[in-house]
Amino acid sequence: MKVFYFEYKRESSIIHKLDPRAKLVYLILFTILTVYFTNPIILFLIFLSSLPMAILGKIVKKWIISIKGSLFFIVFIFIFNFIGIFWTTGNIIDTIIISIAMAIRFVSLISIFSIFFLSTSPEDLMQSMIKLKLPYEYVLTFNMAMRFVPTLAREAQTIIDAQKSRGLEFEKGNIFQKVKKYIPILIPLIISSLRRAEIIADAMESRAFGASKTRSFLYTITMSKIDFIFIIICIIIFTLFILIFKDILLHTIGLNS
Amino acid sequence: MIDFFMGMMRMGIIEVRNLTFKYANSDKPSLYNINLSIDKGEFLLITGPTGCGKTTLCKCLNGLIPNSYNGDFNGEVIIDGLSTKEHPVHEIAQHVGLVFQDPENELFCTSVEKEIAFGPENLGLSREEIRRRVEEAMAMVGISHLRERSPYELSGGEQQKVAIAALLAMKPKILVLDEPTSNLDPFSAYSILNLLFNLKKEYEMTIILIEHRLDMVAKIVDRCVIMNEGRIIAIGPPEEVLYSDIVESIGIGIPKIVKLVKTLGLSSRPLSSNVLADILKVKK
Amino acid sequence: MIEFHNVFFSYQPGKDILKNINLKVNKGELLAILGPNGAGKTTLIKHINGLLKPQRGYVEVLGMNTKETTVAVLARHVGFVFQNPDHQLFAETVEKEIMFALINFNFPENEIKERVEKILHELDLIEYRNRSPFMLSGGERKRVALASVLCYDPSILILDEPTIGQDYRQKLNLINLINKLNKEGKTVIIVTHDIEFVADFIPRCIIMSDGRIVADGPTEEVLTNSKLLLENSLLPPQLVEISLALNISPPTINFEKLVSFIRKIIESEE
Repeated sequence: MKVFYFEYKRESSIIHKLDPRAKLVYLILFTILTVYFTNPIILFLIFLSSLPMAILGKIVKKWIISIKGSLFFIVFIFIFNFIGIFWTTGNIIDTIIISIAMAIRFVSLISIFSIFFLSTSPEDLMQSMIKLKLPYEYVLTFNMAMRFVPTLAREAQTIIDAQKSRGLEFEKGNIFQKVKKYIPILIPLIISSLRRAEIIADAMESRAFGASKTRSFLYTITMSKIDFIFIIICIIIFTLFILIFKDILLHTIGLNS
Repeated sequence: MIDFFMGMMRMGIIEVRNLTFKYANSDKPSLYNINLSIDKGEFLLITGPTGCGKTTLCKCLNGLIPNSYNGDFNGEVIIDGLSTKEHPVHEIAQHVGLVFQDPENELFCTSVEKEIAFGPENLGLSREEIRRRVEEAMAMVGISHLRERSPYELSGGEQQKVAIAALLAMKPKILVLDEPTSNLDPFSAYSILNLLFNLKKEYEMTIILIEHRLDMVAKIVDRCVIMNEGRIIAIGPPEEVLYSDIVESIGIGIPKIVKLVKTLGLSSRPLSSNVLADILKVKK
Repeated sequence: MIEFHNVFFSYQPGKDILKNINLKVNKGELLAILGPNGAGKTTLIKHINGLLKPQRGYVEVLGMNTKETTVAVLARHVGFVFQNPDHQLFAETVEKEIMFALINFNFPENEIKERVEKILHELDLIEYRNRSPFMLSGGERKRVALASVLCYDPSILILDEPTIGQDYRQKLNLINLINKLNKEGKTVIIVTHDIEFVADFIPRCIIMSDGRIVADGPTEEVLTNSKLLLENSLLPPQLVEISLALNISPPTINFEKLVSFIRKIIESEE
């Protein structure tokens, strides 16, 4: 079961080599754009702007998989908005336009976030958080959680196999019974994680965790010229979008077009 | 006066004196009156049935007990001159490295290199020093080719080697290993035990090993400690201890060669089949 | 009772984990599957209770084709004890843990009560019946996991690495239990690394390597073939290694035989 659309894989693309802080700027600016506009055509343009990122990042296939994977939610959002807006306004054209806009907005967000996570290693992410002066313990915990995701996934599968071997059938039963069936999966997973946490704590202490207030780092991230150029390009595109489409933005704020 | 100096000279790199320890949530002690003196450069085996207190003793040897575990701690454990009651774990960790049973859970970084760097990073060393220690540790263990790999992708044997390297980067004089081969297949187990023997021989490290596979380790250790129900019941060179009757009675897995020689009633005490062959003057 | 016919299996296309497995296990047999990591041992046994289905070939268990039967139906007859009991234990008490499978298999209530009592006694768990399984020691948790599978009396029992972390005395208890179950007519299959355990106690031995079965026969034959063992990354059992060092041919895994061979050597010296 391929759940990890957002899983980082090493690649030698420009986007991968960018400082995570530069990519963070991209993430924030384009998320703001996506949330700012409600016109489906503009939103589609914003969405398209992730295409060059995916191509340069050599992650087009995985990017498409992420989007395909969220298809269910896209349709759900469309229907949800459709019903809600039609009920409120009765205007079928507005309803369709806005529902499409919401759906595209969602795809856009998925796209931006997946590009960020697919091209940024957990290590670099951790380093950027440290540079942003977040406390090291929390950053480390976050990073470790990411590292153990594949381990947990494997364990979950083993636990499912073990319980199936004792006659547990997931397909049978109504919705309440089906949810109850996840208890024999979750509890061993949680207990196992707790036991693991204790062992990791021992292992960390045994390697002098907490010895020095000024911990050093073997690898660190530094901003280079390309990172600054990239940030400037993002800011320019951001500004252009706001300036050019400002009028259309104001125009579509009201529901009558 | 001379006794005093003799006593001083005989002080081992680890001194355990009258150690009794009971976990906070337990009714009875896990260790009773343990007395043990371990010499620098010694390869010591600790073994005994499940529940005899071996793991607890290990944790006393790097300071996790009494610093991180609650309980009644009586007696003293002195490691390279430092008393574990008076020094924090992170200080003792620079003298003793502790390797656990399940390598998958003791490796938590995203690459082998970063895993090995974790310890030195904690000490606040310079980047050059960290780099040097990482390279050295990987070379000592023979895993330089794995540097970029992610720990969870590796085999059990490779993971255990990474764990050992991660501790060697702390430059400890002592390594304590708690059943490091129990989850490994025999070939990987053999590889790890071989590595430990080389670390003792080439780098003069003191190695304390908890192990059940007595047939594999009997030939390479200097002394055996046998524990049962929280106490040390036998201690001495392997040919003495493994051949003793007391050890047979507690039901640990004695090497087959010992059983064989005892059944045959031979007077010598070989620990390897080659030595037995010599004794029986078998033509090769 | 269990038959593998030309079974191929892979998790990803192009990388076969099982390659042309042919295997026959009769009722009441006791056998071990040995082999290096990655040989496919666990993948093979997961085919017996239907957790995995072959891509090519078929597996028949008690006359049922596993491709046409659900895991739940097969599991009723095939008891599978996983390596780590912590991957199974989830209930509030040991008693409820044991009842889990019985409830899943729709046993009538009075029978459930009877069976729980019986297995608690047989595996020496009576004093723990109302305790939380998580509070028990490692060895006790293993017994609870075993009890929760034995309680519904499957005719086939599979144990995945049952000897890891066990000391010598615990292994003796284990083999005593296995022999008892085997005498009652159960077919028992053990997957293990522990070649000494197999040499000492298990009559039939299969060696797997790289997805294939490379040896299948009486343990005395298979484990004395040191060339075969070394080719497949296995270390020979201690008695075989001693036999070879003493030029005893053929080598043996039988302690008494080795003793008498050596006695002859000693006598011929005198």
